[in-house]
Amino acid sequence: MSKTLKHDLPIHIFLIFAAILTFYPFFFMAMTSFKATPDFQHNFWGLPQWIQLSNYSDAWTRIRGYVINSLVVSTTSAAGVLCIGSISAFVFARFHFPGREVLFLMLLALLMIPGILTLVPAFLLVKNLGLMNTYGALILPYIAGGQIFAIFIMRSFFASLPEELFESARIDGAHTFHLYSKICLPLSKPILVTIAIMNILSTWNDYIWPLVTIADGRLWTISVGIVSFGSQYMGTESWGPMYAGYVLASLPLIVLFIFTMRYFIAGLTSGAIKA
Amino acid sequence: MAQSTIASGAPREPGVGLLRNILRRKEAYLLLFPSFALVFIFNYYPAASALFHSVFEWNGANVQRFIGLGNFAAMLKDPTLMGSVANLVRLALFSLAVNLTFPLLAGALIFHLRDLRLAYVYRVLFVIPLVVPTMVVLGIWKSIYAPHIGLLNALLKVAGLGHMARPWLGDFKLALYAIMFIGFPWVAGMSTLIYLAGFQAIPSELLDAASIDGAGTWKRFWQVEIPLVMSQIKLIVILTVIGAMQNFSTVMVMTNGGPGTVTMVPGLWLYRNAMYYNKMGYACAIGTALFAITLTLTYLNMRYLRSSVEYTGI
Repeated sequence: MSKTLKHDLPIHIFLIFAAILTFYPFFFMAMTSFKATPDFQHNFWGLPQWIQLSNYSDAWTRIRGYVINSLVVSTTSAAGVLCIGSISAFVFARFHFPGREVLFLMLLALLMIPGILTLVPAFLLVKNLGLMNTYGALILPYIAGGQIFAIFIMRSFFASLPEELFESARIDGAHTFHLYSKICLPLSKPILVTIAIMNILSTWNDYIWPLVTIADGRLWTISVGIVSFGSQYMGTESWGPMYAGYVLASLPLIVLFIFTMRYFIAGLTSGAIKA
Repeated sequence: MAQSTIASGAPREPGVGLLRNILRRKEAYLLLFPSFALVFIFNYYPAASALFHSVFEWNGANVQRFIGLGNFAAMLKDPTLMGSVANLVRLALFSLAVNLTFPLLAGALIFHLRDLRLAYVYRVLFVIPLVVPTMVVLGIWKSIYAPHIGLLNALLKVAGLGHMARPWLGDFKLALYAIMFIGFPWVAGMSTLIYLAGFQAIPSELLDAASIDGAGTWKRFWQVEIPLVMSQIKLIVILTVIGAMQNFSTVMVMTNGGPGTVTMVPGLWLYRNAMYYNKMGYACAIGTALFAITLTLTYLNMRYLRSSVEYTGI
């Protein structure tokens, strides 16, 4: 046994045990999602006797709409956050103007205001604006709220870019917009991807806000839709289609994770930047 | 860096320079306008409205009557709310205890692996559950606790403990504990990643120095590593407390506050008062109280919990 393995072995035993406990429920979900109901009833713990793919087609027809709504809402919100947020962050990082610090603090202060405080008036506001039962009821507040932390992160990143780059472009006669679009943004790709991912993750998972602003089931996002979908199966014994729906609801984020793993982990730990 | 300005590169001509500066500044304000318009409409206005209406009897429409601290007095006499506060305290303390132990241990163990490749594998592994949508995770936990064919009951039957099987989420005594146990064994999450990032940021010469001085693994962990991740611990405390104060979707989806109101939390009670009973003023008062408490706890945490020991090098 190598020295490294000898040192690591007790740690591996502990971590693998923790990993098994963590992943077994997910494994059970994936396994059961392929089982027909009688198979599930008589073979609760075992592997599927045969693969019941119709679970997936049944579930998909019922949650397809929710997935599409979430895709529209989450990607539009993330795009909005990046677009509006990066402009503001650029201004805060590279412009000098009276009131810059005060305005920035006004944004930062909002990080202290919890969603639970604003929930009721924000709901009434959206209602009075006639936005209920529209994508706008979700997208506009998501951009408004999501841009705050994004501006905070992007500002410090933009400010750390070397001034010489901007200086030489300016000597070549570049306009402000070019400094932003041709220098600032291309150099900041990793941070932009990280912010987009964080944003998609949080809007994809949001439950309460779509629940109060969207009454029309056809416009439900996946979080609201999947809870309603799941509760229809909970009392029954046909868990195959239920779990198939859960797997399908998870796939978009898993695909996103596979393609952007590095940024994903950076994004999740970027909470630590706050400290 | 902070001194650099867009204007600094442009040639300055006396007289025209001032006008040009103002115009340039106008550009800055114009560019900030979309951000601030959104923030004022969807963040500042609702926050101000909530604080303002906390002293009103308000149904969100035609009834709006000033009642001073009436809502807050009513809160103290509201048995459901007081019960929900007790639940919140229990949930928050449990969540704190969990987040300060399991993920810290997992992060430390991953950090102590000598095989860095496998350490990376564990890190990725423990991120994956975060990618599963929250509501799917809760759906899975609902099936774990399900009354007849739930995993937990099935497991108890296999272990010959069938008499202990019960509808966990419908049990007056156990429902709250069932909610606390969601996420067991709590190692796959943000907290683990944050601790791990903290450990990995410790300068290696410090750890080497401790080892050369004869500190064993245990001593090194308590006297070198823990003091150096205090900032992360502090962050986790803040995030956990804020999360516990705000999150009511978990309870809503799992038990909807039931059976009866034994698992009620203030957030859910706020939601119900607003959406079911139309008591918008009362809901705003609950929100205001939660906001004030969160702010106080965050302040106390920043003020009194030690940050990481500063390492300034040689």
